[in-house]
Amino acid sequence: MTATVLSIQRIAKRYPGVQALADVSFDVRQGELLAVVGENGAGKSTLMKILAGVIPDYEGELALRGTPVRFAGTRDAETAGISIIHQELNLVEQLSAAANIFLGREKRNRFGLLDQAAMDREAARLLDDLECTIDARRPVGELRVGDQQLVEIAKALSIAADVLIMDEPTSALTESEVARLFRVIERLRQRGVTILYISHKMDEVFKLADRIVVLRDGRLVDVVERAAATPRGITHLMVGREIEETDLSRPRIQGDKVLEVRKLSLPWPGHARRWRLEDISFDLHRGEIVGVAGLMGAGRTELLECLFGASDVRPSGSIRLDGKLVDFKHPAEAKRAGIALVTEDRKRFGLFAEMNVGQNITVCTLDQATRGGLLRGRVEAEQARGIVKRFSVKTAGIEARITSLSGGNQQKAIIGRWLLAEPKVLLLDDPTRGVDVGAKAELYRLMDALCREGLGILVTSSELPELLTVCDRILVLCEGRLTAELSRAEATEQRIMEAATARQPAATA
Amino acid sequence: MSSSAGESTSLLRRIAGQHSNELGLLVAILAVVAATTIFSDAYREKPLQNAQEILRQTSLLGVFALGAAIVIISGGIDLSSGSVIAFSGAICASIMLALAPHDASGAPDTNNLGLGIIAIAIAGTLLVGFLIGTLHAWLITVVGLPPFVATLASLVGLRSLARVMVQEVTTVLMPTGRTTQIYIYDNAFNALGTRWWIPLVIFLVLSAACWVLLSRTVVGRHLYAMGGNENAARLSGIRTDHLKWLAYCLGAMTSSIAGILYMAEVGTAYPAVQGLGYELNAIAAAVVGGCSLQGGVGTIGGTMLGVVFLRVVIDAVAKLVKVGADEYQGIIVGVLVVLAVAFNELRRAGGGLRKQFFPGVLGLLAIGILSVLGGTVTTMMFGRGAGAIVFVGAIVVLAARKLAEYRAARRASQAVSS
Repeated sequence: MTATVLSIQRIAKRYPGVQALADVSFDVRQGELLAVVGENGAGKSTLMKILAGVIPDYEGELALRGTPVRFAGTRDAETAGISIIHQELNLVEQLSAAANIFLGREKRNRFGLLDQAAMDREAARLLDDLECTIDARRPVGELRVGDQQLVEIAKALSIAADVLIMDEPTSALTESEVARLFRVIERLRQRGVTILYISHKMDEVFKLADRIVVLRDGRLVDVVERAAATPRGITHLMVGREIEETDLSRPRIQGDKVLEVRKLSLPWPGHARRWRLEDISFDLHRGEIVGVAGLMGAGRTELLECLFGASDVRPSGSIRLDGKLVDFKHPAEAKRAGIALVTEDRKRFGLFAEMNVGQNITVCTLDQATRGGLLRGRVEAEQARGIVKRFSVKTAGIEARITSLSGGNQQKAIIGRWLLAEPKVLLLDDPTRGVDVGAKAELYRLMDALCREGLGILVTSSELPELLTVCDRILVLCEGRLTAELSRAEATEQRIMEAATARQPAATA
Repeated sequence: MSSSAGESTSLLRRIAGQHSNELGLLVAILAVVAATTIFSDAYREKPLQNAQEILRQTSLLGVFALGAAIVIISGGIDLSSGSVIAFSGAICASIMLALAPHDASGAPDTNNLGLGIIAIAIAGTLLVGFLIGTLHAWLITVVGLPPFVATLASLVGLRSLARVMVQEVTTVLMPTGRTTQIYIYDNAFNALGTRWWIPLVIFLVLSAACWVLLSRTVVGRHLYAMGGNENAARLSGIRTDHLKWLAYCLGAMTSSIAGILYMAEVGTAYPAVQGLGYELNAIAAAVVGGCSLQGGVGTIGGTMLGVVFLRVVIDAVAKLVKVGADEYQGIIVGVLVVLAVAFNELRRAGGGLRKQFFPGVLGLLAIGILSVLGGTVTTMMFGRGAGAIVFVGAIVVLAARKLAEYRAARRASQAVSS
């Protein structure tokens, strides 16, 4: 029997109107990897923030190696050896990797001045340990997400954390970066580091975990040994019901060509690689879902932005919508022509946090709800309620705050916002990011249904299985170039990854 | 029956919840008025005159506070109002002077301008306001200046330009030669600023128009959306550059209207001093009224109450101090803005002791600074005795708050170990 490193007893946390956590108790054993799973809004992140001192006021008790503790801030927790790596990384982009690692604990020489050389040296050693070959003196903002995350891990190691909390660490990583992260996790475990690992992804959980903690609606459902669990069983515990495998195999009927892209290029001023996108040509038909695969930075988001008239620099090449040449200078023109874009980063580019659910849904199509220039509240409310009902958005009502909804329901509201505009082409940029399993399946079915209604859908994703599930065809981008176009029958994870890394330079910086 | 009664109480509660800021302001306004009535004879002796004067002053400030609020809600800031007021007054007076009939000696006579000239002057001034707003919008959306910088340039530049312009205009048009002021003697025009109900009517009409714009039109909703999340607004196909154009034009044009009224009030365009520092009064009124400087939050109703509150407090101090009351305006505005924002922070934190205002050494020093400030101001207003009481009282109250905050924090962190 291994020792208990962290004992969680009857932890509860209330926010106005929401019981985020209620009566959660379990023990974390020394040196184990404990996966914490649950749907969005189950309370995983809240619990982890309490453990890491981010949330100082809560009910219940924590004991670290038998001693009761209560952290007033992250610094307290770090001193006690608990460190958290947030889903949204907490780095100062302008500072170097080394400066970030030692932020707040800077090394000083005997004159009391910063000892930059010593910090750079130590940081380089830590990063090297993590298979991270970046220069520790480079600003963090220039690094790829995967490397940024390793900088955070290096920071945690530099304070000798022996309990490490990782909040959905793979959600923004490419496959190769995920593989590297798993090797790092393995090495940390050999050193005896206890890891709490939050994730949605069953394959990861079953690959890594010793035990699995399942939360639902702020309550502890069960703590199970991995060996005694099945992915299906865990999913069942998470959602409280069986999820039927999404069956999207019923063939869809392809319609006319709706979008024709030829030789699309997007310049990248002042950058060594002169093009963000280079010479891209493809077609999209009505009733067809086309996926766009590629590593982070391959140009997926940029491609969708170009089609939506939202790129900072104007692209060259031609885009035809229903055979007509179009050249959007502003998203407003794309919207009018029948294109809709659901952005990747909901919080920054999609949601209006100060507005309620209804207002968030109708913001694009308010013109339809006016008479004599004045808004008609009832018509607007009908529009919003229609979407809420059609997509079964789980909300207390259209007057509820949009931020009170789970990620999946926020996403449904935003997709609904665009469907009110009755587009011909729907661009979805990583629509299931930060969305739990149950809601993912719902989103897949939604996409399938919209497609059958005659919409042409272009969807990007960082998860290949997802693209393989929903798409009729998959385009693979690599460093701004189209390196493969695979039909559903041809596409496998293997082939996509090959194409996605086809032009990867030998030495990854 | 009982169910409808239940519905109506829940409706009341909902209204109270949604408009807690407005209700709080209303109570505060009544409290200040009541206190002034008790402690000063002025309100009891001449209630009508005082009410009219407060309403007139409120309306003059309110007119351009509406513009400031719309700019703030849209996520920007307009620092130029005070100078636009001075500039607009100068423009309006210059047009009148240029068009005025000449008297026997050949000098322009502004005693009897006639409605035509007044209308042309007002229209011309509004056009100038539109052009100033357009310039701001160009600087911000096309050149890419932050709103703060663009309107700060106008704040400094327009007043200077107005002063130069008045001197040039008088050199050319007046037989007496170069002066720093332009006098307008037309009674009909001057009534715009002196008759108490005219600014009030203008203020109420503008408020109603702004309320309809913000609450009942697509453009208004889009202004809130842009203020809340500009990126999301642009990617929702909202023309954010057009909206900014509108917002800054409304900001400048409401200031132009105020400039005309202020100029009419004294019958003089005197750009060296007119509207000096008024931009901050307008921003303060909007913030006190619940507009967030982060954008996306605020109402016209709240802004109106914010203006009333600001003016009522200023007037209360004037009535209580009697001597040199004007000098106190800045202090009042500064204090009210800090209090309004601090109060909002407290409410966001959940009230009570959840928000620490005086942690550590910084908090300790802040207690000292606030007590000295309060004591000094009170001394100057009411004499040494009152000052000493306020100084000691502030130290005691704030120190007690610090102690309570400290205890609450400790209680939270020691709940387990005890």
